[in-house]
Amino acid sequence: MKIALSIFKDSISTVFDAADQLLILETDGTNGQKRTMIRMGTTEPANRATHLREQGINVLICGAISWPLQTSIASMGITVYPFVRGTVEEIIAAYHDGRLNSEDFAMPGCIGRCQGSGMGRGQGRRCRRQKAGVPHETSARGRIKKSSFNGLT
Amino acid sequence: MSGRSRPNKTSFQIQDEQSAILDSIADGVFTVDKDWRITSFNRAAEQITGVSRSEAIGQLCKDVLKADICEKRCCLRATMKNGVPIIDKKVHIIDAEGRRLPISISTALLRGKFGNLLGAVETFRDISVEEDLRKAVHARYSFSDIISKNHKILQLFNILPDIADSASTVLIEGESGTGKELFARAIHNLSPRKKQPFVAVNCSALPDTLLESELFGYKAGAFTDAKKDKPGRFRLAQNGTLFLDEIGEITPAMQVKLLRVLQEKTYEPLGATQSVEHNVRILAATNKNLEELVRQKKFREDLYYRINVFKITLPPLCERMEDIPLLIEHFINRFNVLQKKSVTGVSDEAMTVLMSYSYPGNIRELANIIERAFILCKTGLIEKRHLPESLFNVKSSESKEGSLCLRDVEAEYLANALRQNNWNFPQTARQLGIHKSTLYRKIKSLGIKPFPSIQS
Repeated sequence: MKIALSIFKDSISTVFDAADQLLILETDGTNGQKRTMIRMGTTEPANRATHLREQGINVLICGAISWPLQTSIASMGITVYPFVRGTVEEIIAAYHDGRLNSEDFAMPGCIGRCQGSGMGRGQGRRCRRQKAGVPHETSARGRIKKSSFNGLT
Repeated sequence: MSGRSRPNKTSFQIQDEQSAILDSIADGVFTVDKDWRITSFNRAAEQITGVSRSEAIGQLCKDVLKADICEKRCCLRATMKNGVPIIDKKVHIIDAEGRRLPISISTALLRGKFGNLLGAVETFRDISVEEDLRKAVHARYSFSDIISKNHKILQLFNILPDIADSASTVLIEGESGTGKELFARAIHNLSPRKKQPFVAVNCSALPDTLLESELFGYKAGAFTDAKKDKPGRFRLAQNGTLFLDEIGEITPAMQVKLLRVLQEKTYEPLGATQSVEHNVRILAATNKNLEELVRQKKFREDLYYRINVFKITLPPLCERMEDIPLLIEHFINRFNVLQKKSVTGVSDEAMTVLMSYSYPGNIRELANIIERAFILCKTGLIEKRHLPESLFNVKSSESKEGSLCLRDVEAEYLANALRQNNWNFPQTARQLGIHKSTLYRKIKSLGIKPFPSIQS
């Protein structure tokens, strides 16, 4: 099992689309854990997804991520925990304890999003928009939520 | 004089006033203290970032703004360090919905009454539509500009970097209006040739003789009026990419010439005595089924195999209906800016009609439908009455006129109801007044095939 964390210094990198360091944890099912640091040289989102696939990553824990990139990564069978913040060590501990969806590790405005999304699990977008004072309108975007959920489940 | 004296205001009143002033500004504004924690956050900032004020206050600005410069090239940090304001710097942020938005930011120091440093202020505005139009003008498209959540397109995204990396010829098949050129440009802009030219030629637009001189160029004196050398598209695309659109339309004579150019990697400009070597990557596109044309002897088999090193088939819009709301939103944003209108979206009824249509003209047709609606709809939501009448005469493609049995009629009726409800099963069941398990059973027994993406 390979878990990748997109990091900057000792914390989760704010934006995965612009991050250039990945900490890869390899777990063997016991307590053994191997840590490797790799650089993502490219900034093109499509290449980032391919890069993760080539590294054999199973789980990605990252900060803010654009949805085309997230869906692209998820479509490769990689579980994505997006919009996560915190120090590397506390995030690793929270992941192992199953506490990653706690509000403590969610970026502002993104509470409820950092649940592992495989092929496009629910993302609570409507709630956030309403909280942010954006009027809930019967718009194309309003329908996207439903169709995106259907389309990727 | 006493009537002109300034009334004493409490600190709460002053705060309220400041907040009202900030909220009246159309640009996003936030202030930070010396520890980079947000101290004020206006309404426009809420709307652009998707983060509410209550969630933003007290947080580190990087966690709220989520900009690509936050960690290494933070503008606020630069301003705090050297006191110099930054004006209109373009950066990208990720909003709370995961959209990557280009914004223009400006920063300045925030000083107190006595000149003491309190922190800094950042103003920003969403320039995504301007950016989108700029891309449209310069055609600098990348994969992130391809709007889709369709599984077939996502699968393509996963292999396209590898295709872009290689130098092989690619054949892009798809109906008219499915975005073949957009994909070709995205492949080019992702490839190692991205800094070299991308040259597009529509092969069906020119007769044979003109196409030959267009592609290969000519030498002075090659024919009357050829006063000086003219470089062809192969020369113009040297080291870059040549996109041959509508390749299925070229004549057999031109097919032979093109085959030779692709095989030998050389071409001869008209009137030239020597061959010229080229280093051009070919991307070809067609809205025809080339395999079928080969079978009908209308397209040379050897040329077909030469260009069909890797084939990409783009699905028509009717096979990626889940993308329609995304595309509609995209076109509404674009036309709002172009036509200075404030259309907010599409009503439920209008969306039902748009989701029921089969779009033979694909995305181009959808764009035209929205553009037409903008003529009639000045503000608010696009309603049913703003849509063309042709959309209301939807006939199921599966209908078999003249040979309908009761089972066929029932299947067609159910398929139409599902389509109108965006393939939402519970909603369809409610509309039909049946239990959803009955609906599922009927779908199964009648063999109705939902959209592939929803099947799973």
